[in-house]
Amino acid sequence: MSSIMSGTGMRSRAKALRERAGRFFLKPVSIAPLVVFRVLFGALMLAGTLRFAWKGWIRDLYITPEYFFRYYGFEWLPVPGDPAIYGLFLLMGLSALGIMLGYRYRWSALLFFLSFTWVELIDKTNYLNHYYFVSLVSFLLILVPAHRSFSLDVRRRPSLKRASVPAWCVHIFKLQLGIVYVHAGLAKLNADWLMEALPLKLWLPARAHLPLIGGWLDETVTAYLFSWGGALYDLSIPFLLLYGRTRAFAYAAVVLFHGMTALLFQIGMFPYIMTGCTLIFFSPAFHERLLGVMRAAGRKLAFRRGGGGKAARSLSGAGFSRDPVEGSAGVRTTLRGGLLHAALVIFFMLQLLVPHRHLLYPGNVFWNEEGYRFSWRVMLMEKAGHAVFHVRDPDTGREWQVSNYEFLTPNQEKMMATQPDMILQFAHYLEDHYRSEGYGDVAVSVEARVTLNGRRSSLLVDPGVDLTEKERGLAHKEWILPYPRNAQSWMGGRKQ
Amino acid sequence: MHRLKHFALPLLLLLAFAVLPAGCDLAGSGESESDFDRAAMLRNYGENLALPAFEALKTEADELQAAAAAFSGEQNASSLADLREELKHARLAWQHASLYSFGPAEMRLLRPSLNTYPVDTAQVEENIASGEYDLGAVGQRDAAGFPAMGYMLYGLEEDDAALLERYRAGNGGEEALQYLSDLANQIQSLAGATLADWQGSGGDYLGTFLSEERAGTDKGSSLGMMFNAYVLHFERFLRSGKIGIPSGVLSAGVPRPRATEAYYGGYSAELALANLRAVRRFFRGEDTEGIDGPGLRDNLQAAGADELASEIEAKMQEAENALQGVSDPLSAQIENDNEPVLDAFTRLQDVVSLVKADMASVLGVTITYQDNDGD
Repeated sequence: MSSIMSGTGMRSRAKALRERAGRFFLKPVSIAPLVVFRVLFGALMLAGTLRFAWKGWIRDLYITPEYFFRYYGFEWLPVPGDPAIYGLFLLMGLSALGIMLGYRYRWSALLFFLSFTWVELIDKTNYLNHYYFVSLVSFLLILVPAHRSFSLDVRRRPSLKRASVPAWCVHIFKLQLGIVYVHAGLAKLNADWLMEALPLKLWLPARAHLPLIGGWLDETVTAYLFSWGGALYDLSIPFLLLYGRTRAFAYAAVVLFHGMTALLFQIGMFPYIMTGCTLIFFSPAFHERLLGVMRAAGRKLAFRRGGGGKAARSLSGAGFSRDPVEGSAGVRTTLRGGLLHAALVIFFMLQLLVPHRHLLYPGNVFWNEEGYRFSWRVMLMEKAGHAVFHVRDPDTGREWQVSNYEFLTPNQEKMMATQPDMILQFAHYLEDHYRSEGYGDVAVSVEARVTLNGRRSSLLVDPGVDLTEKERGLAHKEWILPYPRNAQSWMGGRKQ
Repeated sequence: MHRLKHFALPLLLLLAFAVLPAGCDLAGSGESESDFDRAAMLRNYGENLALPAFEALKTEADELQAAAAAFSGEQNASSLADLREELKHARLAWQHASLYSFGPAEMRLLRPSLNTYPVDTAQVEENIASGEYDLGAVGQRDAAGFPAMGYMLYGLEEDDAALLERYRAGNGGEEALQYLSDLANQIQSLAGATLADWQGSGGDYLGTFLSEERAGTDKGSSLGMMFNAYVLHFERFLRSGKIGIPSGVLSAGVPRPRATEAYYGGYSAELALANLRAVRRFFRGEDTEGIDGPGLRDNLQAAGADELASEIEAKMQEAENALQGVSDPLSAQIENDNEPVLDAFTRLQDVVSLVKADMASVLGVTITYQDNDGD
């Protein structure tokens, strides 16, 4: 009897909880934070695309290589050659501009997501956590009506204008950022990072020439402070940003933290992207003020140009009314439609699970990198290697080594040498290459010496294994040698 | 207010982290882990190793040019022997300068212009016959520089008597002499221009090399560039070019004795040994006089990696021993008894792994020949 009673109680409690959650996620909130997020993200993506092209990386990374390390399951995706790849980047830049200005916004967001993700999927050599982050955020941007204020779309069709959106439209970005930070923080809770201050102990002294701070980058205690501070920062910052009383202070920490990483490491746009994106945690009032400033600046610019006043006026529009019902009803029904709801639930479930998939594999994730990508392990290891491929022709009995540089760019060679799945891909490529040269069923093995966090290098892959016999796949690669326990640290002799 | 309590500890620690860059001297004074002066190391590399290497190359190239001019004046056994001697000296000087294939040497394409081998003998013969060629052109690299000169002085005819006859003969001798002198001039002018780029009186690359903004260890830094050039040279041009490809390890298991560095001169192993010694001196920061300055070895020791430093030394010694077991002409050694050559290759490879992976990691030098972001 009592169990039935409590069962009903639980059901009604669950129902109440669902209703509360529904109210929480559907409650109309000001569109301003979302609009600022859209403008900043679009501007940063435009800058990032221009920077990429300016540095000649389109050519270096997507035209020069003869071979691309495709992601497992995405080999079907065509590699746009020269000049199509430039077209793809042009599309990327234009759609980023479209996001920023709110011009044909849904299309812009969709095209940006597709073009950016397509480029990323061409070659895993270029995988970076922050590129993955951009793909995720631009996907989420497709789903929200971020163009319904302060946009060219509203100027074209004033009826689109809304002062508010359902709260989920803003919360999903906070959730995404929180997931990134918390996982990055959890990933730092390992012995090397906390107990040995590795790899910062290796990296920071290399920056000792910097003015002002350079002097103490050489100190071991600094590496520990940065390691612990970094972990603490990642684990706490999303919560401190959520809470009004700590927000301003937390944001100062965001600026300081990412400013430091920009100064110390070669990580491109990432610090600026994070510094821009975390503004979404701020209150609607803050964002409305920010939009006011942007509007004023736009008006000034328009007047100076002369005759552009209309554009500025229409961009500025009326203030933000807090009328909830009128503001977001349209979007509300689409969520009720279920499809979007389901998509978001699946998306975030994956976001919570994917970073932990390394638990399904035996061994050290830093060593075997099974489940390493897409898990927010940012700047967490110093890994370098030298991979020598041995080929044996069974018909003649001849054996030889491969000059990797004849097939790969220096960057590909470097990334491949420490990542088992790329080593396997390259071995298969070599097999195909020698077959096309008229050889028979050659055997390819690898002698890959890899060093992790300043320890003595050791063999990553069993050199006795013919890699051409091994299939690609997500299953554990039993031919990866275990990370040597108690590997000798080269740094042992450091005088204290 | 009570909720703030949950944040109190992280807040305090975060605050501590935040104020740190303001200059707080938590570490105390005199507790510095390494008092290694990287600027002094770079100065040693720039002033005492790189610049003198290019000076020596220029001097030898001048003498090579003079000997070629003398040979043009009079073709006899003695002037030929002199010219051959000067060619060898210049090639030995190159074994030092080739480690610095960044900056001016890279801009002027010094390595591909001076030392692309094996020489394309058909191209050389065609050039001599036609008299129409531009030795600076990309398509002429196989017919220019030291290897082409080696062919002109040893390989053009069966023996010395026939060779001298070829240069002396009324029909065609002038053309061969012209090609010889064009080669010498090409070598001299490239060596001279690269040295001028390095010198304070010229392009002052030394100044750039030692400048404040190049002081780091990342891609654009002087150490980063020099270290990457060093590893690239070691792996691709010493290990592979001088040993691996001719011995067949890197050419589908088929030995290619004619692909040795000085095939016609017959002193390829001597050049390889000289190059390995230069690579080793570079690691120590030791100049050609044997004077030891601050170098990568000292940097490793200061970082606490004494054992890695001695391991690299030991492996370099093993490679040197193995290379000493290889006799000239290297092509004959490869054809008759390839085992010692294969052994030397393996020893060189052991060092490359230690330098490219272990040492780069410990020193925090970014191994990249290409500009890109990390995360």
